[in-house]
Amino acid sequence: MRTLSITAALVCLALLGTVNAEEKLSMSDADKKMYAELLDNNPAEMDVAEGEQLFGELIGSAGYAKMLGVKEKDLPKTIAGFPRYVEPAKRVVTLAQSIQMAAAANEKPVPKLESKEMVKISAYVKSLANGQKTNIDVKANKHMQEMMKLGQEVFEERRGGRGLSCNNCHSMDIVGQRLRMQPLPDLGAKETAAASTWPAYRMTQSQMVTLDKRMQQCMKNALLAELPLGSKEMVGLEVYVTNKSKGNTIAIPSVKR
Amino acid sequence: MKTLIKIKPKDYKAGDVVKIDFMAMHPMETGMRKNKDTGALIPAEYIDEVKFMFNDTLITKMVIWESLSVNPLMSISFKVPGAGTLKVIAKDNKGQSVESTTQITPKG
Amino acid sequence: MERRSFLKGFGAAAACAMALPHVSSAAEEKKSGGPNEMNFETAVAAITGGKALVASAKVKMEAPEIAENGAVVPVKVSVESPMNAKDYVKAIHILASKNGNVRCANIYLTPANGEAFFGTRVKLGGTQDVVAIAEMSDGSFLTAKQNVKVTIGGCG
Repeated sequence: MRTLSITAALVCLALLGTVNAEEKLSMSDADKKMYAELLDNNPAEMDVAEGEQLFGELIGSAGYAKMLGVKEKDLPKTIAGFPRYVEPAKRVVTLAQSIQMAAAANEKPVPKLESKEMVKISAYVKSLANGQKTNIDVKANKHMQEMMKLGQEVFEERRGGRGLSCNNCHSMDIVGQRLRMQPLPDLGAKETAAASTWPAYRMTQSQMVTLDKRMQQCMKNALLAELPLGSKEMVGLEVYVTNKSKGNTIAIPSVKR
Repeated sequence: MKTLIKIKPKDYKAGDVVKIDFMAMHPMETGMRKNKDTGALIPAEYIDEVKFMFNDTLITKMVIWESLSVNPLMSISFKVPGAGTLKVIAKDNKGQSVESTTQITPKG
Repeated sequence: MERRSFLKGFGAAAACAMALPHVSSAAEEKKSGGPNEMNFETAVAAITGGKALVASAKVKMEAPEIAENGAVVPVKVSVESPMNAKDYVKAIHILASKNGNVRCANIYLTPANGEAFFGTRVKLGGTQDVVAIAEMSDGSFLTAKQNVKVTIGGCG
């Protein structure tokens, strides 16, 4: 495993080219400012507005809080703690799965996890936690501990024809190395805060994408079989990745490549 | 076509120059992309004209091409003469047209 | 693991990542410029009627030096002008010098704008200049440009 990560680093450096390229490739302050301004006018805002409407039709904040067993004023903090163990489901669920539960409990049609509808609704619901810090508690109970352990296994497992794991590009050893122009991000660092800033508008796809969908897209590009949304492995993976971002401020929707 | 108009800053007086940020959800198809499954060219479909009216007077007209990003932003400046209605009319090359309005409400 | 095959693996992954919507590769560009295909010289001539373009510091063209992707490239143009009835910017034209259709937008302003400004995001098919042409009320054409290096990078 050690050899593989060193190889990966060497590959990244080889792809980078000359030693001086790092200076040329780093984004200038002016460029950083222009990209930060994209957040001022994020097309995903229109999706979130639609999500608010759809959520209202499904259950609304009051009903949702009731289903989760919390006071409505505590919703933002609760939402900031997903994925979490939810009593009615008797298992750890993602935010989107909790929305499915709410729809079912309210006898409304249950939106599929993969649907555009669900992306909009989950983005809206997560945005209710804007300003909160991601506060997932992986030690809360044995269910969370189990999912955290599973998530780490999934993150570190080498799969697919190339024998790649999430770790090959996202371990702390590799963070910062460039993969074809882009520096590999530290998923938990404030600048990335993956779990705190997805769902996000993906510029390369011109649409809003959820965290688990984004991980599927990453798997696809690494030639790994995509884990199904809502599967135990995917939920575990989301628990593990979200825990990396613990303490970062939630800001939905954001803009990403 | 969903649209969104934002006036920045939120608080302004008559005589101030504000920004009008207009966003529309639109595929802005260039006519150069191919359907993955059939291989057929996806026809061009893009916003081609946007008009900004204040109290029914044209203040800015835009001719837009398919090179603008999907779900485009069009942002201009506006010197606020007083209170009134801002209307944005966005049309695409297929003839689909959407009118969006917002109130200009200067504080003083 | 053999380094060669590992590189190949990334190459394949890169090939998957290349299927990005709205970003044409250089090869695709040469095939077809789309229904509104027009090159830079023709587009400029259509705007200026053959009149000279004058590079001017009064025109501020802001675009990233390095674009993270070619699908959403932020562009802002400001032109110094009193924007009164006697002296104003009649139009701001934005061109992407190497796109199949170089024309991005033609913005016809009036003194009611107060400031000559236009901001948007454009699709760039590859590294090129993004050019702003300001059509002035006195009949002159001022210009400024910014070279944008478009990166197709990362792993999806």
